[in-house]
Parts: sequence; C-alpha cells; structure tokens
Amino acid sequence: MAIIETKNLTYTYPGATKPSIVDVSIKVEKGEFVLITGPSGCGKTTLCRCFNGLVPHFYQGELKGEISVSGIDTLKHHTYEMAKHVGLVFQNPENQLFALSIEKDVAFGLENVGVSREEMRKKVDWALNQTGIYDIRERSPHEISGGQQQRVAIASVLAMEPEIIVLDEPTSFLDPLSAEKIFEVIYRLNKEQGITVILVEHRLDLTAKYTDHLIVMDEGKVRFEGDPRQILSSEETRLIGVGIPKATLLYQMLKKEGLNLGDKTPLSSEELADQLLEALSPQ
Amino acid sequence: MSVFDGLRFRKVYSPIHNLDPRIKFVYVIAIFVVAILFYQIIPLLVLFFMQIPFVLLARVQRQWLRSLRGAAFLATFIFVVNVATTYFTSGYLLTAANVENAAAMTLRFVVLVESFSVFFLTTSPDHLGLALEESRVPYEFAFAFTTAVRFVPVLAEEAQTIMDAQKARGLELEKGGLLKRIRNYVPVLIPLIVSAIRRSLELAEAMESRAWGATKKRTNLYLLKLHKGDYALLAITVGILAVAVYVHFFVSIPTIASLL
Repeated sequence: MAIIETKNLTYTYPGATKPSIVDVSIKVEKGEFVLITGPSGCGKTTLCRCFNGLVPHFYQGELKGEISVSGIDTLKHHTYEMAKHVGLVFQNPENQLFALSIEKDVAFGLENVGVSREEMRKKVDWALNQTGIYDIRERSPHEISGGQQQRVAIASVLAMEPEIIVLDEPTSFLDPLSAEKIFEVIYRLNKEQGITVILVEHRLDLTAKYTDHLIVMDEGKVRFEGDPRQILSSEETRLIGVGIPKATLLYQMLKKEGLNLGDKTPLSSEELADQLLEALSPQ
Repeated sequence: MSVFDGLRFRKVYSPIHNLDPRIKFVYVIAIFVVAILFYQIIPLLVLFFMQIPFVLLARVQRQWLRSLRGAAFLATFIFVVNVATTYFTSGYLLTAANVENAAAMTLRFVVLVESFSVFFLTTSPDHLGLALEESRVPYEFAFAFTTAVRFVPVLAEEAQTIMDAQKARGLELEKGGLLKRIRNYVPVLIPLIVSAIRRSLELAEAMESRAWGATKKRTNLYLLKLHKGDYALLAITVGILAVAVYVHFFVSIPTIASLL
C-alpha cells in the first residue's frame, strides 16, 4: 500500500479566486525519495501543507478530493495527530526554532506529546547525532549558522520518529556547501532509517541524483511524474521553467551534435564525467 | 556591531548563574522585605554591601555598575525630595539626622535596585522560563516569554536591515527636531511590524506541525533540581530574615549622627 496517496486533490485558500492545487493525484511508496519541483507559485508548498493536515485545518479553505497519509485521512485528523507520522521542515530555518537552546528545540515536539523525560533524552540525543549537531546542542539558535539551524529543524522533526519527512525548499536560505550537507543528511536518513522523504527543491543540480521519483508541478497541476531521467530530458520540462541539471543539458547538446554517450541520461556531473571518460578512452 | 547589541543575552557560567532561579527569587524578595523593614542607615548599608560578594562571584560587576548608574538619577531625586521636605517641615532647619534619614531612604531604593539587578543579570532567560513552567504558570505564558527572548536578536537584526535599506533610499533618521525624528522612524516600523506578523504566522505553522497542543499533560526535557548551592542560599536567606527580625524588634539601632 502506498504511504501517501492523493486522488483529485483540489484546494483553494480562503479568499483566493482560483485553486492553488488542481486535481493532484500522486502516489508515494514507503521508503521512496521523492523530489517535487516546479516554478514558484506552482502549488508545491500547498501540497506539502496537505501532507500533515495544515491544509485544511490551519488554513481553512476548501479541500476537495481524497488524501491518505500513513493510512490516515488528514481531513479527519488534526495536525498534532499527524505530527507523529509526518515531519514538516520549512523554508526559513529561523522561523521554526522557538527555544533558547537547540536540544530544547529538538525536544519541543516530544514535550508536546508528553513523552517521559528519560525516553525524550534518548530520542533527542539520537536525532542530534543523526544530523551531526550533538556538539552544539547547548547553544542558542541565533548563535549558529543557517545550515546548522536547518539541521536543527530536521532533528526536531526526526526526534518524533516520523515515517515521512517533508522538506519544503529547505536550502533556499543556504549557500551551496551547506545545502549539499543538508541533502546528504536527508539522503542518509532515507537510506539508513528507511524514512520516506519528500523534498521540494529548485536545485536539481544537487538533488536529481538522489531520486528515482520526480514530480514536476506547474500552475497547481502535476505535469510530469516518474523517472527523472526521462522527464528531465524532455523539452517541455525545460519550458515550464524547471532548472534542468547542467550535466543533463550538456548531454543533450552533445547528443544533438551527434555525440552519443549512451542511453542513460546523466543527472549529475559525476555520471556525465564517467560517460565522457568511457566515450573518450581508446578501446 | 549594532545599536541593539545590548538586547542580546549571553550565556555565562558562574556559581551564581547556576543557582535555581526560584531560590534566587526568594532571596531577592527577602532582601526586599528586610530593606522595607529598616529605616536606619546602618542596616541598610550592611544590606548594600552584602550583595557585593554575589556580584563579584557572578562576575557581572560592569553590568551591575551600569544598572546602578541608571538608578542614580532617581536616587538623587529621592534624596533631594527627602532633605527638602524635612527642611521645610522642621522650620528651615538642616540637621545631620535629617540628612542621614534622607540618605537612608535613598539607600533603601538603591538596595532594591541592586538586588533585582543581581537577579536579572545572573538568571538566563531559559532558566527563568523553566522556573515559570515549574511554578505552574500556564505553559502558554512561559512559552511566550522564552520565544519573545529568542526573537529579540532576530528582530533587532531585521530592524537594522530595514534601517539600512531605508537609508539607502534616502531616509534621514537623524534629521530634524524631536517630533520629526520620531516620525522618521515610521518607514522603519511599518515594514518591521509587517514582517513580524508574517514571521508569527510561520512560527504558528511550525508549532502546529510539531504537535503543539497535542496533550494537556506536557512533559519537559529539563528538570530544575535543587543543588547544594541552592540549599546554602536558602539557608542564608532564612538567616538574613531571622537576624533582621531579631534586630528590628530587640536591638535599638544607633544613628551615625549620634555616634559621632
């Protein structure tokens, strides 16, 4: 059974004239690393908010269609019930940390659910270690860098031991190096802990290599869903305004000029480099 | 760095900082009561000097002196008013006893300021928040308090950015008379308020996503525990109160004027 399934999901924010997402039907299997991309204002964030019930419980408005997350109908369950199953990490790391020390922030969710102190300590330390911020656990959020803040945000949803982590453009406030570290943390959680990851991201250059399930959205609709190699090599995807990885673009240019590097469309510089080396080496 | 630098709290570790905030508060209240109990200058002087070891142990001398300097204006005012009223009511006579009395009243005020400033200078906001939580203050209030402290540096930074941006567009903050100067800040305040509201929405969203309000029986990662130092301070507090009450009722305190 799919861990997330939506059927004809359509949602309009209160006071808005047109819906933010239209007829979204997607299916995510357990343990997948799903990448959602698309131009700004295409409804990615709204879709993320549906996964833990912020839409419609927090935002009100009208939600039509069906949605099931971890087998739970989010329409009938509150966001705080969903928090144990879905962890949502937001764009701005600063605005999701409220405590005066990092470990207190990581414990916030567990405190809210009423976990005992001993168990909480264990889970908090585990989450801090998983995200590599154990050493700075006693600092206050404004003393650390944006990349570290975002890792705290990830740790704070991780401490709840959710089956799914949804990250809504977690690196748009970060420099490329910190961004890459964040992606590595997420990828490791996905591989080692088996947590289903849904990542919303513009920087496909850095992220396309992690995924085998890509969703491209535009104007509230799902335009493409499936194998990233196929989707990213199509002309239409580029026209929507998706940031195609440089390696994929170069591959296509070379292909157009008659240099065939094999059937596999590369998604990262490493893959392209391998293909080039193979093509250039004298047999 | 910025004009708002003073608003940032820093973590300092010292024997006084590590004391339980509740006990420290009880101590401050005790000093408060004792200061009210006496109107003679000698016990008030004793009270005043008794705080100094705390200040030195906590290594907050500089901030402490600054807070005393802040109180200097009011202290002078109290002194002058006291001397003046006795001067006029006692038939235009300035006696040493009257001046001493006025000095004692002033000192009483200074002791109050001093002890409160020691409390606030040596208690970190998260300790204070924790103390609030454990004193059965509704969690919402304790949370509002710590979050407010958490966002002070963030908002200060933002105010600085907005000020810089508006200055870059030609806003002159330091121009004109007092009223004009206050009006100059409107283009800084409005964006600041708008962004604070937007920020609060995002915060609310993040709180909801992390199970805010899931259960009435909330637990806490930290627990305030009383250590040796806390018991010692408690003992000192009780001692001070006992001595103060004894002296107040059974010892007649001489004035400095009569000793001379």
